[in-house]
Amino acid sequence: MAEALSVRRLEAWYGESKVVHGMDFSVGEGEVVALLGRNGAGKTTTLKAIMGLLQRRTGSIRLDGEEIIGAAPFDVARKGIAFCPEERGIFASLSVRENLLLPPKIAEGGIALDEVLNLFPNLKERLDSQGSKLSGGEQQMLALARILRTGARVLLLDEPTEGLAPVIIQQIGRMLSHLKSLGFTILLVEQNAGFVCGLADRHYVVETGRVVDEIAGDEFERRLESVNNYLGL
Amino acid sequence: MTTIFGVPSAVLFGQLLLGLVNGAFYAMLSLGLAVIFGMMNIVNFAHGAQYMMGAMLAWLLFNFLGIGYWSALVIAPLSVGLMGIAVERFLLRRLYGLDHLYGMLLTFGLALMAQGALSNWFGSSGQPYAIPAELAGGRNLGFMFLPNYRAWVLAASLVVCLGTWYVVERTRLGAYLRAATENPMLVQAFGIRVPRMIMLTYGAGVALAAMAGVLAAPVYQVSPSMGADLLIVVFAVVVIGGMGSIMGSIVTGFLVGLIEGLTKAFYPELSSTVVFLVMAVVLMLRPAGLFGSRLDNAGGPHEAPAEAPSSSPRTQMVLVVTLAASLIVAPLVIYPGFMMKAMIFALFASAFNLIAGYGRLVSFGHAMFLGSAGYVCGHAAKVWGLTPELAILTGTATAALLGLVSGWLAIRRSGIYFAMVTLAFAQMIYFVALQAPFTGGENGLQGVPRGMLFGWIDLSNPVNLYVFVTVIFLGGFVLIMRLVDSPFGRVLRAISNHEARAQSLGFEIDHYKCVAFTLSAALAGLAGSTKAIVTQIASLTDAHWSMSGEVLLMTFLGGVGTLLGPVIGAFVVVAMQNYLAGLGQWVAVIHGLIFAVCVLAFRRGIVGEAAAWWRRRKPHGAGPVPAPVQAASGK
Repeated sequence: MAEALSVRRLEAWYGESKVVHGMDFSVGEGEVVALLGRNGAGKTTTLKAIMGLLQRRTGSIRLDGEEIIGAAPFDVARKGIAFCPEERGIFASLSVRENLLLPPKIAEGGIALDEVLNLFPNLKERLDSQGSKLSGGEQQMLALARILRTGARVLLLDEPTEGLAPVIIQQIGRMLSHLKSLGFTILLVEQNAGFVCGLADRHYVVETGRVVDEIAGDEFERRLESVNNYLGL
Repeated sequence: MTTIFGVPSAVLFGQLLLGLVNGAFYAMLSLGLAVIFGMMNIVNFAHGAQYMMGAMLAWLLFNFLGIGYWSALVIAPLSVGLMGIAVERFLLRRLYGLDHLYGMLLTFGLALMAQGALSNWFGSSGQPYAIPAELAGGRNLGFMFLPNYRAWVLAASLVVCLGTWYVVERTRLGAYLRAATENPMLVQAFGIRVPRMIMLTYGAGVALAAMAGVLAAPVYQVSPSMGADLLIVVFAVVVIGGMGSIMGSIVTGFLVGLIEGLTKAFYPELSSTVVFLVMAVVLMLRPAGLFGSRLDNAGGPHEAPAEAPSSSPRTQMVLVVTLAASLIVAPLVIYPGFMMKAMIFALFASAFNLIAGYGRLVSFGHAMFLGSAGYVCGHAAKVWGLTPELAILTGTATAALLGLVSGWLAIRRSGIYFAMVTLAFAQMIYFVALQAPFTGGENGLQGVPRGMLFGWIDLSNPVNLYVFVTVIFLGGFVLIMRLVDSPFGRVLRAISNHEARAQSLGFEIDHYKCVAFTLSAALAGLAGSTKAIVTQIASLTDAHWSMSGEVLLMTFLGGVGTLLGPVIGAFVVVAMQNYLAGLGQWVAVIHGLIFAVCVLAFRRGIVGEAAAWWRRRKPHGAGPVPAPVQAASGK
């Protein structure tokens, strides 16, 4: 399988404090990969470093073989990576429609707006609502929906299940399986082991800014106990 | 002839039209301020200067190149907008992530430079600009006469305002702008070049101001100072309306213009101050402004003051004794007149520093205390025949009272809004000083007697006068020094560091702020009163906004939040004014340049940088080096 995204020896800082200490992992094309770990392990920081949102980072981040570690955030996005941030990042002063249309198209092959709305019927009814009026689940749907029409093939999703009801989490799980079947490459940050089980092709366990374990998708259930151990459950 | 409440209807409608035209300019300027503020969190103090540059450019194009009004209406906004883009790209961009006040100070410096340079080249008097032939004349509407040009200004400004509103609120581009206002990082991560967008937004806001300037050229006189006074009114408009909404600033602009027009028709004496009175009322009833939804937060990090945690009583003793000794020796080598002037300004700057440095409430209107105290003290000494000490006390008490009232209102806002509110109040006091019967208007209050201190020390004796000023200055300085170190001063600093935290510890923060502001006003008034006795004149200069700018300059140049900084800053600035007096308006340009350099290169000022350097050299010295404050990058 061709590598879509490869991260080597990545180190990243928040201001003065170093948070990521030499991350190594890769995501194959069309693969769903999960970064698992506790709070403060450096998962979100890794995603932000990939997007170019941190001032200080060193190492290597390659997208389809091309080095992007020095690129500005808007360049990273234009090269084909779409970002769904933690806490969803819905713009409260924009309507649902404006939120949906916000990320510019960067390539052909995105999902057309009508189709996106068919995937997320709840949003269709609320197109003219203010972003601030949505429920948590609706916000998460919107945050996912708006990055599907841009034509980006690699999706970075930061804890899409955080703070949501189990029934919504199931919906999001089905959605991600569907996206995988459409050929999207997905890098997923999670703390919810139950959610990624059966969804991800591979799992990396992250602790104190490093990958400490790699678990294949089919081994995951067998090793659930050690995963829970890692996550402190 | 029909009259309405005793006013001829033609006059009333004429004033209302004039009010609407003024309102059109308020709306266009406050709109630009709101757009720029929304995107960049910068209050563009250069907005008035950019408006003026639009008008000046139109005038220059016509007089030197023969280019007429309609071409100027396109060329001037484009060129001034391009200049704005350069300013953003090379200067303002360095200040993002810092406290909003720095952007305000930098643009204030730029405005001083533009205004000073243009005054030098083209004189400061107003120049007429002819109404374009197509719009000359007017029509009789039956109830009033409507000049065509005024109708055009109203129509054009409405189109511009509503067009801007449409772009921001209803288009794709506007959605980008609004999203970037909320979360610029995420918008970047979607592939939008936010820095470029910010640059273009600033350029567009500036071009809007310049276009207003071209529209204004045939209505008002074109002069380098035309923007400054207008901008202060626009700030009041912004405080009244709240900067949150585009439509809010448009509506408020026209509304304020109409109120002004009505006042001119029914009670002309109040017409120049009514805006500020409306602002005071709005602050009392609805501090966030008519259309504002949330109150401002304090903003980004300040540069950490370089002052050691607290100097020991011994160090302070040494400081005061050294200061006293050098002030006693100084007249032997330096002209005493200069020394006295510098000491008065040093006291003024130290008083300002008490609230700006230690309370982190940067007032842009401290001239009102200096000026009003000077007038009252002069009046008391000259007309009531009080002895100098009583006259000075009267002046100081007046300033304290003024500080209490204006402070009580102004502390409802913080940060940049606080600066705008105080600036507006000071402008109100300026207009009062200009029009009140006892101030002597443009001439000032002249021939204030120095008199006999306590009835038996003759202050017309130069030695007595010098000692008197030195004692007052040292007294004020020691008072401030003790105040800063007192429990009160510590609470004040705690509040300035983190308001909510101080509040949760049980301190009534508004109470502390108000007391500090009043104290600062009283000490500024002490300086102003002493100045009136020493110089024997109280004049409009001391009440003008440029004086508020000067005290800011002294304090920031010397080192805000340090004891000695304002003193040194005052001496440097006064010396500069003395020795550069021959340069005329270039002094303003130099002031502006110093502002810009201070904000961009050394934000801690002379004393602050020196102290930081000293401590870097001796890392194991007395005080720990304060940790650099990082921009809060919340995870």
